[in-house]
Amino acid sequence: MNENYINVVLADDDEDDRLFFSEAFDELKIKTRVSTFNDGVYLMDYFNSEDAILPQVLFLDLNMPRKSGLECLKELRADEKFNDVAIAIYSTSSSEEDVENTFVLGANIYIKKPSDFKSLKKVLSDVVTLNWQYHTNGLNKDNFLLRL
Amino acid sequence: MKIFVKFDLHSVCTKVLENTLNNTQIKHTMLGFGEVDLQGSPSKETMEELAEKLSEYHIEIVQDQKSILVQKIKDTIIDMVFNEDNNLHVKSSVYLSETLDHSYGYLANLFSEVTYTSIENFIILQKIEYTKQLILKENLSLTEIAFKLNYSSVAHLSTQFKKTTGITPSSFQRIIAKRKELLKK
Amino acid sequence: MITRIKKKSPLFIKISFYLALLIIVVAGATAFKTTKNLSKSSELVVETYMVNVQLEQIFSYLKDAETGQRGFIITNDSLYLDPYVNSRESINNSFAELKELTKENDFQQNKLKDLSSLIDKRLNNFERSSSFSVNDNLESPKFDPVFFEGKELMDAIRSKISEMTEHERVELLRRQEDYQTDVLLTPIFLFFLILLSIALVLLAYYKITKDIDSLKSYNEELETFKESANQSEIISKHGNWIWDIEEETYIYSDNLYRLLGEQPQSFKPNLDTFMEYVHPDDREKLEKDVAAMMENEHLPFVHYRVIQKSGNIKRFKSYAQVLEIDGIRKLIGTTSDVTDEFESFRLLEERNVELERNNKELSAFNHVASHDLQEPLRKIQTFLSRLVDKESENLSKNGLVYVSRIQNAASRMRLLIDDLLQFSRTNKSEKVFETANINLILEGAKQDLAEAISDSNALITSDTFPVMYVIPFQIQQLFSNLISNSIKYQKEDATPEISIQYSRINAIEDDKLIKPKKEHYHKLTFTDNGIGFKNEYAEKIFVLFNRLHGKSEFSGTGIGLSICKKIVENHKGYIFANGTPDKGAIFEVYLPI
Repeated sequence: MNENYINVVLADDDEDDRLFFSEAFDELKIKTRVSTFNDGVYLMDYFNSEDAILPQVLFLDLNMPRKSGLECLKELRADEKFNDVAIAIYSTSSSEEDVENTFVLGANIYIKKPSDFKSLKKVLSDVVTLNWQYHTNGLNKDNFLLRL
Repeated sequence: MKIFVKFDLHSVCTKVLENTLNNTQIKHTMLGFGEVDLQGSPSKETMEELAEKLSEYHIEIVQDQKSILVQKIKDTIIDMVFNEDNNLHVKSSVYLSETLDHSYGYLANLFSEVTYTSIENFIILQKIEYTKQLILKENLSLTEIAFKLNYSSVAHLSTQFKKTTGITPSSFQRIIAKRKELLKK
Repeated sequence: MITRIKKKSPLFIKISFYLALLIIVVAGATAFKTTKNLSKSSELVVETYMVNVQLEQIFSYLKDAETGQRGFIITNDSLYLDPYVNSRESINNSFAELKELTKENDFQQNKLKDLSSLIDKRLNNFERSSSFSVNDNLESPKFDPVFFEGKELMDAIRSKISEMTEHERVELLRRQEDYQTDVLLTPIFLFFLILLSIALVLLAYYKITKDIDSLKSYNEELETFKESANQSEIISKHGNWIWDIEEETYIYSDNLYRLLGEQPQSFKPNLDTFMEYVHPDDREKLEKDVAAMMENEHLPFVHYRVIQKSGNIKRFKSYAQVLEIDGIRKLIGTTSDVTDEFESFRLLEERNVELERNNKELSAFNHVASHDLQEPLRKIQTFLSRLVDKESENLSKNGLVYVSRIQNAASRMRLLIDDLLQFSRTNKSEKVFETANINLILEGAKQDLAEAISDSNALITSDTFPVMYVIPFQIQQLFSNLISNSIKYQKEDATPEISIQYSRINAIEDDKLIKPKKEHYHKLTFTDNGIGFKNEYAEKIFVLFNRLHGKSEFSGTGIGLSICKKIVENHKGYIFANGTPDKGAIFEVYLPI
């Protein structure tokens, strides 16, 4: 694992959102490697494959065909080998129910997709920075909850 | 049975580091704050072996001086926040420059250059982390925590908590409680 | 369950009647006995007189004999001796009479024996003295003693007779006394007996009359009741039936026939005729139920359909239980036509399904609004921001203005969608009430608004609240909406001060509450020192998307207070606003206890 790069993964069925996401990371100063998946099934297939490189942060859209973000979240949190992966919910909805529910189910971050590019960049940078700090400063990941 | 443990990460890491160094038979002196003085300069192979062993614990050998200083800043801040008789009433900038013997401006610039975040933010992050710990483990009220961490008011602490985490302290408490309930099932 | 009815038997009347009969018999017997006694008494009196008469007669015969003898002695004419000769026979006759008359009286019998010997002596004496006369030696000294003896004997007889007469007199007196007593007491006794029996008969009569009266009024009541039962049967569409368990007969009320679509009492009720009306699909089950009813003598609620001759299908519900009157067991049953209830229930269910579907549609709409509608908007906004960031050099001045206008409109639309969503969320069906610590809820609301509060330096003071039965997250939203409203509409030159006071009020004493459903309410009063409003808008400010101020003065969509109203209504409470321009606003929230 190359320490100089931060690996992030996005599972989102929306092409525009995947584009914004990758562009935002491209413009950030942080050195990142971004992989995207078109839905939950592709994502889980990759995660469960042997040569999978687990990211520091996984961004999950809630509303996806075939396998929803919520289902992925449950599957990932049921498996100890994904413990180190910080899970960020990346959704259009900001209903309190969704927020609390996903946090309770083990999500660390809840992001309401911002409606302008600058905010998107800031949000993503905040997530990666804070996650990195948790990682490098040995903070208790169980208490890592962030809503943006 | 379930037990809860409380540990001081700093001393854990120090101990792990010391044990690993002992195992590799490198003569050394522990200087504290993540600083180790190695006798002579061990071979490249020995250093790689040490780095590999330490990486199991996610301990990283910081190479350059800047990184070393940043690590020192972090350690000082963590010590400042988490220590029972903390020095939070002293202005952190003064405390840091006095402890590390550098001007605060220099430290701040260096810190944000390396970590992409400011010393102030880092302090706030640590304080909020400590607050979380106190809420969950010590069962302290926000008022008590605000006093302990030298906040001017509960509102100030609440505001900072919400700004940092995006959720209110009570939501945080509720979510963690619900998680524990879910785990029991 | 078996009900028994006990009749109050007219025991009292029976007893009085038999008692009166007994008394009359006793009275009759007494009267008969007394009459018998009376006739006996008078017989005895007559007897006494007869005894006296015979005694007198005996004596008078003796006197006659004496007189005759004396005449003979003087005249020596045997003609004078006739009375004497006759007297003997007469005396004997009288004596026999007397003996018969006094045969029950030992005293008189003894005296009679004495008298008889005396009379014999006297008659002997006559014989002797007469012989002196016949022999004409009256002068003989022997005559005188004989004569004298005769006189003495006569005296003795007289005294004996008077003794006997005296005895008879005393006897007569005694008998008369007895007679008197009898004559006096018997009527009184009889009178009382008759009085008593009259009293008893009267009492019985009174009782019977009374019973008849009450029976009559019972009958009237029964008649009225029957009529009202008839009426209620018709109105509430039910009919009654009675199954005599022993006799195996059925009686149907008129309305039961009507329920079957028939004329009252138009056919002989029995199980078979009834079953003909029952819907073929339900017949088997009902037959089973009835068989169980006959065995258990009880019919739990059973439901079935009947088909009237006109072809109408009706839904019936029957129930029956055993009633026991004087040991006769009958099954009293009720059958109601529940077609209407069934129909309205079915309608209600249909409505419920419809409502549920509507609710689902609403939440689907929520989803559309929250996700699907927001998504394109968000992309429009993001692409706009990309356009501004990357392509602003390629746009003309006008183009830039238009883009910024589009951005404004888009953010306004976002605001509206967000608020609309929030409003519809307070309306959704999951409303979990729990007993909640309101102080903690207020603390949560303050944490939600921590930034706005510390930015504005707002001072919030509050009473201590009791626990309340509420939907916690909605109340927290209510609190934060009201507080943020106060902070938003603050005066430029003053720091916001918000006080939240609590009181427990009696619904009747507060005339603001129209038709309160509960007796007591929690009253929370939010008072601020903001810009206030004209009181004529007090109701308007709760209307959805209603704003008192221009968009440029204050941000917001005018939905916050509508949400407050919605939340309070969800809690079946009240919310009132009261404003004074440039002084502040008061919001009063009433939540039922």
